[in-house]
Amino acid sequence: MEGPPTLKRGYRLSGSAVGVLGILPAVLLIAGLILYPVAYAVWLSLHDKHSFFPTEQFIGFRNYVEIAHDEEFWDSLWRGIVYAAGTTALQLGVGVAAALVLHQSFRGRTAVRALVLFPYMIPTIVAVIVWRWLLNDTYGLVDYLLVRWGLARQPVVWLSVDWIMTSLIAMSVWQFTPFVVLSVLARLQTIPLELYEAARVDGASAWSRFRHVTLPQLKAVLFVVILLRGIWMFTKFDTVWLWGEGAGAGREIRTLPIYAYMRTFTYYQAGFGSALAVLMFAMLMVATLVYFRMFWREEEAT
Amino acid sequence: MTRQARILAGVGLAVAVLVPVLGTDAQEKKAVRLWHTETEPQTVAVLNQIVADFERLRPDVSVKMEALAWGDLEKKLTAALAAGAPPEASHGQAITCASFAAKGLLRPVDDLVESLGKENLIEGFRNLCRLDGKYYGVGHAAAASVFVYRKDLLAQKGLKPPRTWDELIQAAEALKEMKDGQVVRWGLSVTGQPLLVNIQVGELLRSNGGRLFDPEGRPTLTEKPMIELLDFYKRLNAVLPPGWTSHGYLDTFANLANGKAAMVYQAYGRGTGYIEKYAPAEIADPEHFAVTDKVVGPSGKQSVAQIDSEPWMVFKQAKYANEAVEFLKFFYKEENYVRYLHTVPIHLLPMMKSTYRNPKYTDNASIKKWRPWVDMQETYFKQDRTRPVLVMEWDDMKKPYLLEVMGSGILVDMVLDSVKGMPSAEAAAKAQKRVEELLVRAGYLKK
Amino acid sequence: MKALRRPLWRAFVYTAALGLAAQAVLPLLWMFSTSLKPPREVFASPPTLLPAAPTLENFFRLFAETAFLTYFVNSVVVSGLTVLLTMAVGAAGAYSLTRFRFPGREPLAKLILCTYMFAPIMIVIPMYILARRLGIVNTRLVLVLSYASFCLPFSLWLLRAFFRSIPLELEEAALVDGAGRARAVVHVVVPLALPGVIATSIFTFTLAWNDYIFTRILVASDELKTLPVGVQDLFSAAVVDWGLIMAAGMLITIPALAFFMAVQRHLVAGWGSGGLKG
Repeated sequence: MEGPPTLKRGYRLSGSAVGVLGILPAVLLIAGLILYPVAYAVWLSLHDKHSFFPTEQFIGFRNYVEIAHDEEFWDSLWRGIVYAAGTTALQLGVGVAAALVLHQSFRGRTAVRALVLFPYMIPTIVAVIVWRWLLNDTYGLVDYLLVRWGLARQPVVWLSVDWIMTSLIAMSVWQFTPFVVLSVLARLQTIPLELYEAARVDGASAWSRFRHVTLPQLKAVLFVVILLRGIWMFTKFDTVWLWGEGAGAGREIRTLPIYAYMRTFTYYQAGFGSALAVLMFAMLMVATLVYFRMFWREEEAT
Repeated sequence: MTRQARILAGVGLAVAVLVPVLGTDAQEKKAVRLWHTETEPQTVAVLNQIVADFERLRPDVSVKMEALAWGDLEKKLTAALAAGAPPEASHGQAITCASFAAKGLLRPVDDLVESLGKENLIEGFRNLCRLDGKYYGVGHAAAASVFVYRKDLLAQKGLKPPRTWDELIQAAEALKEMKDGQVVRWGLSVTGQPLLVNIQVGELLRSNGGRLFDPEGRPTLTEKPMIELLDFYKRLNAVLPPGWTSHGYLDTFANLANGKAAMVYQAYGRGTGYIEKYAPAEIADPEHFAVTDKVVGPSGKQSVAQIDSEPWMVFKQAKYANEAVEFLKFFYKEENYVRYLHTVPIHLLPMMKSTYRNPKYTDNASIKKWRPWVDMQETYFKQDRTRPVLVMEWDDMKKPYLLEVMGSGILVDMVLDSVKGMPSAEAAAKAQKRVEELLVRAGYLKK
Repeated sequence: MKALRRPLWRAFVYTAALGLAAQAVLPLLWMFSTSLKPPREVFASPPTLLPAAPTLENFFRLFAETAFLTYFVNSVVVSGLTVLLTMAVGAAGAYSLTRFRFPGREPLAKLILCTYMFAPIMIVIPMYILARRLGIVNTRLVLVLSYASFCLPFSLWLLRAFFRSIPLELEEAALVDGAGRARAVVHVVVPLALPGVIATSIFTFTLAWNDYIFTRILVASDELKTLPVGVQDLFSAAVVDWGLIMAAGMLITIPALAFFMAVQRHLVAGWGSGGLKG
């Protein structure tokens, strides 16, 4: 595997200056447009600042103390967890199953593989308006069919207080599962066929082939997919915002990112809003660290 | 290695070249930015014409009109103000205007009012954004929210237009129509859109003789008129379509136009266009879609409505504030203003008495056809029975925190809590506590 | 037993595949169908599956009455430039991270990945203030920069994995043969990394094309709005009609899907050959 050691070392070390130069633009962009704003948000979170009034007052951790006593915060945190956990779990289950199906050989496979990825490729606003139209309780196709096929006696009001979280989760799973399908499918394609051959020779059943050959191979990709999807769903803003916006019932899906946005832009409390955002990030960090602690070790083996 | 560096340099150069191309904001002219909320294409077109005419007169000025979605305006303004870069002028709710004026962000526009003629401005509109004797905004046009009902359907059932909350519930029940176990027509349609729920709460509370704040500025959400209102919402909830809290304003209007609802509590003149487009042509007229006074609550005396009229605000710190006022003077000139009003004739009603008398203004097919709708709104205006959202008495305009109260959605949450089954007193107390916290934090209320 | 299981399995696979394709495509077909209906038919009940009197009226109105075309051009320009910038910066960075050793390289790579955890909602407000200070608020530039910086962490990570999977020996062989580094890169690394670069480009393009919140806050002018924000404004405008909205939805979706279809093969291949190997 390794090339001649002398040449390799010389080759790698020769350009360390060029190496730094190569990564520099990326570092500058990230530092300037992500890290700096984040640092500013942290600074803001220690202040009582009206969103547009120019003065600010340093108040230390008071924002955080107030958050701890804020009922709305705990509600929104809970909703965020329900949303993130619900959608991630469903995406994973549906996504892996779909990828396994698409890994089989059948006629038209290429076309179906492409079609299945559609929902992930369309803009969120389109996904939202299409589903809001499909699920419209008066003119929507879904309710019409449900009633006509006798699956529901009355039209289900998908965006009502009782159903809005369910419909949001369903819609999000529709929109984001293709990411899981894509990732898992890509990995499936790289599993050496010999492994299956060997298992088959050993007389393993389809299930045990999946259990003992496929699944271990997927572990690494699932590790990353769960992490990414979990983070993305927990911080998801546009889908949730556009789904609930324009309805009082939107309150039932007021997740943490939405609440942070509202504090900043509708309560006009930039400091409090930033504190929520910072807290959100801190929680993600902790969750990620715990996640790595729990699952990472075995990944390094693969 | 040198080649490597050259490639990188090339990339850097490409970026450097692209940057100025992308950032073409080159401006020798005085750029006046105006934000407004009239997004309808025909209105935007007329505004652009007016801008073009103005720029011909003032070659040194370039006016940039930006149409913003209603719900996004406040957020956008917030962000712009936070960055210290507001547009020259913008539409805003009356309470936004009051809030900004109280914070010293606005340039008084007495000169603009002067040019319109102080006496010429209709009395009911003079208070839209006036503080300490100074005008901080002039409405671009005005509309009152109206109660719409299907006259033919009420007549079929032998019903009179409802006058009180009780009668509204009864009528809604009586007008509901079923077929094969399915509701084919709801008696009443009401929106659950947060902004409009704020408006409803204000309107209904006022019609029930209630108030949101005491003279010291402390919230009074636990008082009897509010509790009665929340009880009323519970009763409404029982007769409204089950998903009403998720219905946007347009959904309620679509329901009305399509015959899926017989009454809409909260409608605006703009909706006549909707009726003409979607309702069967033979009934798309004010004889079928009639307007009447809004209902009155058990503790109230007078039918009231909300005024939808965003004042033009001019920002003090904007570079070309004076040029913006120049443009606004031009905008309100009858020949321009009438063109503007006619883009949405039943919703954009004039601010000035002279415009009402202007034959050019009244000579409009839509205004002639929908006369009852215009008259209804005029009656409210003339009798000074309309107030901006969350304003009970004009004095409330001095409370600069109504904007925060509305934005927080606390009142909407209160209504939702109530219809979800929380006892009214408890829902009100919860909201009371949240509003108090909000005001303490904003420094308007001592703990 | 075995003979029976085989056709059953095949039937299951075909049914499942059909179901998968249907759930993905039918909502979009419903959008298409609605976009072809005249206003009154949109609200017909029961709904008509296919338009009784198909018309392109909604599409014409979209161009005649709204600034749709402007939004469209903006989206194309901004997304395209974002991809170029991200790829230039990202590929250079990923190449550096995999081919050179310099102090702090590994922590830096990890730190960059960490920034992916910052939600847009957390960044966009301070970013607005920063953009204001730089005088680039309300320009296409600020959109391109913010998208690029936001896409970079993940793009870098993806690209790094791709570049890492390209055996060093090939480059070294080229170097031994006397080729300069640039030629080694162009002739050896680029062709091998291409699937990865394409996959990453698509990811970047999708993010830029689909973004809502950055545009919503960083841009005010109608003439600078991108499609998602422009369409959202249409959607919440005072008089809205589903036919028009669905027509707009169609026209945003088609280019995104066409672009995706064209490179779809590379996407799956690229994603697999290193993107998410952990």
